[in-house]
Amino acid sequence: MITSLAWKNVWRNKTRSFTVIAAVTVGVFAGVFAMAAINSSIVQRIDAAVNEELSHIQVNNREFRSSSDIQNIIADPGEVVSVLEKTPGVTNFTGRIIVRGIASTAGGSAGVEITGINVDREKQMFTLSERLIPGTGSYFDSDTRLNSAFIGEKLAKELYIIRYILTPEAFRSLEEAGIPAAVTEKLRSIEGERFPTEKKLSEACAGLLTSGEMKKYSLNIREAAWSYREGSKIILSFLDVSGNQTGAAFRICGIYRTNNDFFEATSLFVPEDELRRLTGLEEGQYHRFIARLENDDLTGKATSEIREALPGLEVLNWKEIQTDLAMITDYVNQIYGIFMVLILAALSFGIVNTMLMSVLERTRELGMLSAIGMNRRRIFSMIMLESIFLSVVGGFAGMAVSGIVIGITGHTGINLVKYSEGLEAFGYSAHLYPTIGGDFFIMLTVLIVLTGIISAIYPARKALQMNPVEALRGE
Amino acid sequence: MKVVEINDVYKTYRDTEVEVRAINGVTLSFEKGDFAVIVGPSGSGKTTLLNLIGGLDQPTGGEIIVAGHHLSELRPSELIDFRMEHVGFVFQSYNLIPVLTAAENVGFIMNLQKWPKEKRKARTDELLESVGLADRHNSRPSQLSGGQQQRVAVARALAPRPEFILADEPTANLDSKSAETLLDIMEKLNQEENMTFIFSTHDARVMKRARRVITLEDGRIISDERTNHNS
Repeated sequence: MITSLAWKNVWRNKTRSFTVIAAVTVGVFAGVFAMAAINSSIVQRIDAAVNEELSHIQVNNREFRSSSDIQNIIADPGEVVSVLEKTPGVTNFTGRIIVRGIASTAGGSAGVEITGINVDREKQMFTLSERLIPGTGSYFDSDTRLNSAFIGEKLAKELYIIRYILTPEAFRSLEEAGIPAAVTEKLRSIEGERFPTEKKLSEACAGLLTSGEMKKYSLNIREAAWSYREGSKIILSFLDVSGNQTGAAFRICGIYRTNNDFFEATSLFVPEDELRRLTGLEEGQYHRFIARLENDDLTGKATSEIREALPGLEVLNWKEIQTDLAMITDYVNQIYGIFMVLILAALSFGIVNTMLMSVLERTRELGMLSAIGMNRRRIFSMIMLESIFLSVVGGFAGMAVSGIVIGITGHTGINLVKYSEGLEAFGYSAHLYPTIGGDFFIMLTVLIVLTGIISAIYPARKALQMNPVEALRGE
Repeated sequence: MKVVEINDVYKTYRDTEVEVRAINGVTLSFEKGDFAVIVGPSGSGKTTLLNLIGGLDQPTGGEIIVAGHHLSELRPSELIDFRMEHVGFVFQSYNLIPVLTAAENVGFIMNLQKWPKEKRKARTDELLESVGLADRHNSRPSQLSGGQQQRVAVARALAPRPEFILADEPTANLDSKSAETLLDIMEKLNQEENMTFIFSTHDARVMKRARRVITLEDGRIISDERTNHNS
């Protein structure tokens, strides 16, 4: 009965209750959505780290990571294969040959990590092949796979393999994108000119367009002018097992684009057999084994088991390799809690105010309830429940709105391309797909109920101070 | 049978420097089935005496015994339970719970006392019928006239079968017709349920109906007369 009375009391002054409920709804939505957006960025980063860069677990020769000498191979690859095959949770694994070297073209050169891979096996284990930029070729799909290299966009730019040219086709795509003719006409004077970098293109455009036009259209112009000549070649040079300088020309079979500039600029993939032939490494010799697990939750357990079975080798999981990423995940979870507590604390002032007004307006009624026999515990519970209802209705509405908006934006994504340079330099995507775990909503529900309880304490104490004699006097 | 016994009761209020003696040595008792009014000019102590009898206030001297309970010995929480179990209150300004229907208001105290649902419903129906509001079960107080609200308040007070009903100026806010109807109902319930009614009033219509008129002046009883009024 107290519950039903409290619920009815909430709706006495609909405008006031709706106002406070709306405030809680908006506050909870803002908090949850902001967190979902931040969370998505981290989830995507981890996803990329595991699916494109590191895998779940790596097994290396103990010296390899510090010196990366080509001689630091895994002494007994057969034992590694046997351990990985037996470890529960490991779904797939492969060996890699890794050498440090220099990639060069006529335009420039850059230090790179050249990874020799088993193309078919890696394709099953990683999603890097899906990161191929359309129109740049394929992921080692051509018949002449052997002499091919799969490189990152950032490296391609550094080696001037990608250039920027406003071709007639680029002008057509600008028109199709709805860029006004007045703007494209201004750009005609640089038609056909080759710009080695984005910066040079932007400088040329800035001399022709207004700052407003640049702000609005520079991204479209950059995309339209992006130009790559399929089948370009690069020279890779490195040391072989004997310590002699060696190298070869590789045809670029495709260019990938990830959200991690550093990875793009330094990681280059070639078929294992070709690298083996050039370095003189024998069949079955590897510098690293990488393993995928059924799911990320098994990482810790599987790492321990493999480490125990292979005491002579360095066994690391992605969290140990990218400690910053593992740390940020834990840190962000704590920030979520603090952030939500702060939002709810701010909202609780609104609830306290509303409840206090409601109690003071009902002085006579509360006195009458005490006169006719409603004890202090029941009056306290009634006020407490009214406050909890206000916060819970607002909180659930906020969570529902968040759920819907996260559902939609999680599908469509939020485009932060304008800020992508800053984000991608740290390996974070410029397209966010907000997501948040169900356990967060459980924690939030507890926090919301607590907010209602804490907000009710002062008004409920006020209610208990009512004197029933006032009611009998009919004041 | 005595329902209320008041023995040499005093009630003094201290207002900074001034001491006000609202009740000054009152000795009085009420019998089961009394239909009594306490009258007197403003400030004579009528409401204070009702508050003392109802356990809403404690005397500064003397003794009040209701249904075997010495009220001055009860703790505040026990007094609340005492009021719920033994006293029915009817207030001048009705004081119904605005968010509840007439039936819910009548059933409210029975609900606090955890009456079984069926029994509660039967008693509510019976009382709403008695006060002539059988067709207004689901009306909220705002949908009822003043007289109707006061009838619901009487039904609420009677519902848990208290020892007696205390009614403080129950007709003060009512027009003549509503006041007469209300008094008819209370008289009828007094006779049918042998319910004790103790009123405080200025209203001559109430005094005319009462079978006992107690007159207070400066906190003392100056007369206690039984009349032959009978309905």
